[in-house]
Amino acid sequence: MTDPIIKPDVMRISWGPQHPMSGQTRILLDVDGEKVHRIIADLGFTHRGIEKILENRTFFQGIIPIERMVMADTANIGLSYVTAIEKALGIEVPERANWIRSLMCEMARINSHLYAFGLQAESTGYFPAVFLWTTTDRTILLDLFEELTGARWSYNFFMPGGVHKDLPEGFQAKVVKGVEYLRRRFEDYWVAMVENAVFEVRCDGLAVLKPEDAIRLGATGPVLRGSGIPMDVRKDEPYAAYADLDFDVITEPACDVMARTKVRYREIGESLKIMEQVANEIPGGEIATKTSPFVRPKQPAEVMSRVETARGEIGIHMFTEAAPNPYRVKINSPTLRNMYVFERMAELSEILMADIPVVINSIDPWYLDSDR
Amino acid sequence: MSEEAILAQIMEAHSDKIESAKVLQPRCLSVVAKMDGLVEVAESLKTRFGFTMPVACGGVDYLNDQRIQMIYYAHNPEQKIMLTYRVNLPRDGPKMPTLTMVWGAMDFHEREAHEMFGIEFEGHTNMIPFLLPPDWRGGHPLRKDFKGEGATQ
Repeated sequence: MTDPIIKPDVMRISWGPQHPMSGQTRILLDVDGEKVHRIIADLGFTHRGIEKILENRTFFQGIIPIERMVMADTANIGLSYVTAIEKALGIEVPERANWIRSLMCEMARINSHLYAFGLQAESTGYFPAVFLWTTTDRTILLDLFEELTGARWSYNFFMPGGVHKDLPEGFQAKVVKGVEYLRRRFEDYWVAMVENAVFEVRCDGLAVLKPEDAIRLGATGPVLRGSGIPMDVRKDEPYAAYADLDFDVITEPACDVMARTKVRYREIGESLKIMEQVANEIPGGEIATKTSPFVRPKQPAEVMSRVETARGEIGIHMFTEAAPNPYRVKINSPTLRNMYVFERMAELSEILMADIPVVINSIDPWYLDSDR
Repeated sequence: MSEEAILAQIMEAHSDKIESAKVLQPRCLSVVAKMDGLVEVAESLKTRFGFTMPVACGGVDYLNDQRIQMIYYAHNPEQKIMLTYRVNLPRDGPKMPTLTMVWGAMDFHEREAHEMFGIEFEGHTNMIPFLLPPDWRGGHPLRKDFKGEGATQ
């Protein structure tokens, strides 16, 4: 580890991985009294070598380990890998399957954002109620997932060529009902949390990340959009059915923790809009192109697939040869990019020791994703 | 501007320092640089061609060709184009100058590539253990001849 700054007043504190708010990582903090001079992220506590595991699995088997990267957001992560396989093998996806994928991805995004939102409330220390609310409301989505896929988490529902099952009877009506319920709840969240004076005091003007810094440091997802930069893979390079769906890219100009929280809040609204559109306008037809699980590419290829997950852009760079498993899979994880931004935040603005949980939760870290 | 047009401009500016370049797929370019002009071309890609946003970097081990290809990923946030900037290294003792002074956020990813592929980054100021345990002696896990010899002894 880098030596601590040698000053008599500077003390190095190890925060995590057993701290209730830190998640499975250790953060080293050089502090002078309450003021944080330097943040050092010590990652790797949950490194499982997913990139290596994928090299030793067939294309279909690889979908299972890669979904373990982010449990709250398995649909988006799984889709990035499945899309890469489809590009490498030249598999076409029917339109209906694309719409079902978009529906699943948006449900997973809301699920993940709700979790992040609850943790953000919890991190300020005043709102255990909001965390319980979001946990309860996620049940609505988990029930829908269970009915559609048979699993509440890690569905393994996407496969190269389409999806495993069609929407069950009456599913669309349930989606619309769920959307209506969640919309009502969101008004409560806004009043209880975002507009709450205590939350404002803790989050307004904290850990400001200017747009030029966000680009220079490679921020992604809500962190980037919270700095006012409208970058979203769903719009920039549409995949699944996003080209046909109507939604906005949410940005906030304030660049602070509050802005990132508001981006997540408003993104949930956009996702609900997409869910409603899919439920009402989903086209008919096939749900999958038949693909053999033992499929192998005919010649070496190299493809890049990018998907906007709840935490930001994930990139799968897949190298294949004439073999039943990929030669190499490089995963560009969104949390790792945002962790670098977090490390630099003490240099960009003044952060106090007590603000560290609030700041780290504003980037919505998921260490299984950054460690892979 | 189309991907081809950007690529042609890059080629025109640095033809002597680029081994090959192509459009990998829509919105994604691939530029393979020669070792001697590596930093200079990276600097120009960032300042002149707008690839200001670092994404990640990582290697690919080509065991049969006895080379490791190091790939840097960077975004152009204006044109929404992704760049994969590559350099080929010998598999035996791979060494290259760090690009952290061009794209600062490559710090984490170069540390990872150092552990996973054994690439030496000259000039990297913060080469501390990243994902693997500090007392790891099992070799470089993402190399193709890695046999998985246990972790620490």
